[in-house]
Amino acid sequence: MKQSKKFPYLFIAPAVILFIVFTAYPIIASLYLSFQTYEGGSYSFAGLSNYTRLLEDSIFWKALGNTFIIFILQVPIMLLMAMALASVLNSQLLKLKGFFRVSFFLPAVTSLVAYSLLFSIILQDNGILNTLLNAIGIENIPWLSDPFWAKISIVMAMMWRWTGYNMIIFLAALQNIPDHMYEAASIDGAGKIRQFFSITIPNLKPIILFAGILSTIGTLQLFDEPFNLTQGGPADSTMTLGLYIYENGFEYFDFSYGSAVAYVVVVLVAILSYFQFKVTGEKS
Amino acid sequence: MKRASIIFALLLFALAACSGNDGSSEQNESGDNNTLSVWAWNINVPVIEKAAEMFAEDHPGFELNIVETGTPDVYQKITTGLQANGEGLPDVMLVEDDRLQGYLNSFPEAFVNLSEKGFADDHMDKFPEYKTELLSKDGDMYGFPFDSGPAGVFYRVDLFEEAGIDANAIETWDDFIEAGKVLRDELDVALTGIDINNDDGVYRLMLNQQGTFYFDEEGNVDLTSEESVKAMNVIQQLSEEGLNENLVGWDAWIGGLANGTVATAPSGAWLSGSLTGQAPDMEGQWGVFPLPAMEEGGNRAANLGGSNYMISSNSEKVDLAYEFMEFFSTSDEVQLYAMENGLFPSLNTIYTEDVFSEEVAYFNDQPIWTMFADLIEDVPYANYTGDYSLARDEATKAQSRAADGNDPAEALEEAAKQLENRLNK
Amino acid sequence: MMNTNKSKRGLGKVGMYALLLLFLVISIFPFYWMLVGSTNTSDKMFTSPPTLLPGSEFMTNLNNLDATVGIWRVLFNSLLVSGVYVVIALAVSATSAYAFAKYDFKGKNVIFTIFILSMMIPYQATLIPLFQMMSSYNLLNTYFALIAPQLCYPFAIFLMRQNFAAFPTELMESARLDGASELKIFMKIVLPSMKPALAATSIFLFMFQWNNFMWPLVAITSQDMYTFPVALSTLNGVSFTDYGQVMVGITIATIPIMIFFLVLQRHFISGMLGSAIK
Repeated sequence: MKQSKKFPYLFIAPAVILFIVFTAYPIIASLYLSFQTYEGGSYSFAGLSNYTRLLEDSIFWKALGNTFIIFILQVPIMLLMAMALASVLNSQLLKLKGFFRVSFFLPAVTSLVAYSLLFSIILQDNGILNTLLNAIGIENIPWLSDPFWAKISIVMAMMWRWTGYNMIIFLAALQNIPDHMYEAASIDGAGKIRQFFSITIPNLKPIILFAGILSTIGTLQLFDEPFNLTQGGPADSTMTLGLYIYENGFEYFDFSYGSAVAYVVVVLVAILSYFQFKVTGEKS
Repeated sequence: MKRASIIFALLLFALAACSGNDGSSEQNESGDNNTLSVWAWNINVPVIEKAAEMFAEDHPGFELNIVETGTPDVYQKITTGLQANGEGLPDVMLVEDDRLQGYLNSFPEAFVNLSEKGFADDHMDKFPEYKTELLSKDGDMYGFPFDSGPAGVFYRVDLFEEAGIDANAIETWDDFIEAGKVLRDELDVALTGIDINNDDGVYRLMLNQQGTFYFDEEGNVDLTSEESVKAMNVIQQLSEEGLNENLVGWDAWIGGLANGTVATAPSGAWLSGSLTGQAPDMEGQWGVFPLPAMEEGGNRAANLGGSNYMISSNSEKVDLAYEFMEFFSTSDEVQLYAMENGLFPSLNTIYTEDVFSEEVAYFNDQPIWTMFADLIEDVPYANYTGDYSLARDEATKAQSRAADGNDPAEALEEAAKQLENRLNK
Repeated sequence: MMNTNKSKRGLGKVGMYALLLLFLVISIFPFYWMLVGSTNTSDKMFTSPPTLLPGSEFMTNLNNLDATVGIWRVLFNSLLVSGVYVVIALAVSATSAYAFAKYDFKGKNVIFTIFILSMMIPYQATLIPLFQMMSSYNLLNTYFALIAPQLCYPFAIFLMRQNFAAFPTELMESARLDGASELKIFMKIVLPSMKPALAATSIFLFMFQWNNFMWPLVAITSQDMYTFPVALSTLNGVSFTDYGQVMVGITIATIPIMIFFLVLQRHFISGMLGSAIK
């Protein structure tokens, strides 16, 4: 009995120690930094000034707005697409399942460098994508130079990279839905699409929540895509909170302010995750 | 228990593997007294390696430990090190013109004052004035001048001929735009490939040639000056007349130049290296003419880009670093080697060498280096200040707005207002 | 009736394959293009119309790349760092997740919540403090610095916890009645059934470490410690980029992670399954 009391502490000890040293300490240090200001080589205490400055910073608000637009455009469509692909791949009849599975997952394993190189060239005005569109009679689209299309490009790039990843997560959950549910629905005359909405989606609820929260965190910290493809432009139309944190720290040498933005992100993720729990009706 | 022991064996191996390597690769931190650590990138690397070889002839045992990281990633490393009070920085690092004042202002204690070491007194007159001023703060010099980017317009000789344009007759930006219209109408080729939303380089060139910049000499925001509005007008015309192909990012720009989408590139001398490297089969198809002036007879010299070496105050070998870098930046031999590698040296004592008058086959047998060497003397000083990055961010947004059809003067006013706000934090 | 049904099904199948094919092309094209780039000279990337067929310059590009960054050393570093990381991080996640899932102890919920919340901190904000810490203990530029910081990876703990939670507690109870120690129960009874979960978790861990860029970029200060993402970034310079080299680099960097995924993917699916159901 005594042993079983000590045991769990022993088991969490490595994780907790590593967490305190390498995660908690930097987090607290950067929180502390967000209450400081840097001037000519040294830090001094600045109270809440970094946070009040946020209120009047039009770029911050723009970044916040962009992040939400991208979030609303990207997350639901991507999750739906991932679910559709997963249910197709889950079908008994399909051949070459493993091949498709791996192919769709592949974009998720690409590194930042590869990804940026590939997409910045594909999305040029005279790049391969526009060349293909021209061939079917669509005029050049300014993928990276128009405020609207630049956001669309970011969304597309994110979908390319993450749809397969979420598909795999859904695929796992789908294999858990018993076949007889679909069989019963077929007998009742429900079509495939109807089955998707009346059986697949309700059964996937917990995993949708799971994927939704992961995507929320990913989108609010969004950095890779705007950093590589648009540098936040044109005219801040793809500036995101993640990129703004980076720019404040590494371009403008204002880590204190960058940290303050970071803590706004934390609060937002927490609030959004809470709502997602509410909407999907899960008890944490 | 077998499985457990396998796992624990793996763990032990893993720990041994990572702790075993703990100290092995630290030779550049303290190491021996005759080795300097350097951060540089790309074509700069062979040059400094060569310099080290020459230096070692008089200093037996001298060695460099060069760590190569590309831009802009290297700046993330430098900024991180500076934030940590210079920890983890090398003895010597390469810093581009446009980053230098920002570092100097934000981290005033982080770099060795070269004036105290006598560099300014001994060598100041060997470099163009715009460069030595750029490297100075409160009258003291902090960087060794290395390469420059005297600007010209790189152009496609064959396309100009086909369209019947005489490059030598282009003296003003208005002439330049007229030439662009001919190219557009006759050949359906774009004049420039400016990345409107991310790169205001051409606008900056026009500011520089008119002797102004984002900031005036006192460091006040100067985006709304008459010169600035004129420059932004040119950008707007290029865009509205359909003369500019918006090529986003470096890769696309070089691609556009290499595949004939774009017929000219107003840029620094260093572009020659990229053209010869990236499009070797275009020999004879390129030429260069001096930057057009804003008004007839106006200044045609400006600078874009260039870099410098700085010594970290944290270095334990400041004297050795100074001695080596002094040799590096003032040795004709080293700088000529840099020249061969496609970098245009700032050291003016070599401009009389033979290579400068050579006709370059790639550039249609034009002696392009003479042209650049003549231009560099007239480059006006640009006051970058420590807030250059913020100013560039706002100027680039003004450029986007102007290209979108907004009044350039209003776009610049808006930018100036935003910039003031961001500076008054 | 039979007939229409059959042709309808046939049509649906055609549609299904068409959809898959479309996605396949979208997913794979950039990789194909990477292959084209790695087997051609740099200037071929810019021809118009674009070069769409593989060339024969792979070995030349590979040799150039090796001369620039020492690609085999880079491969070794990346494999070592990612391999060691996955093993240790997996052990750390599995043990703590097991405690979270199957034991009641003081502070359990608080600690777990803090772990999960920490995932929400953008990493850009913690880079400088972490660097200062490593630097003051003289640990920069070591394998330790590359491996240690993210060994406690909250997402992995979360994933493992969901899987452990699905393990029937009765089996543990009966083993306890038989006098088995807690460690023995974990090692001999619970862990052997967790293979899929371990596979799934290790894929996430491997992916994270293999592609990790920002931290290694600042933590490494000498060339012989470079991992793939950092090494590839050195090829991005001011005036001349050799795309042949870059593309070969990306190709070599992508293959190991593809293999890792291919080998473990079957388990991966069922490992994720455990996390779906509680």
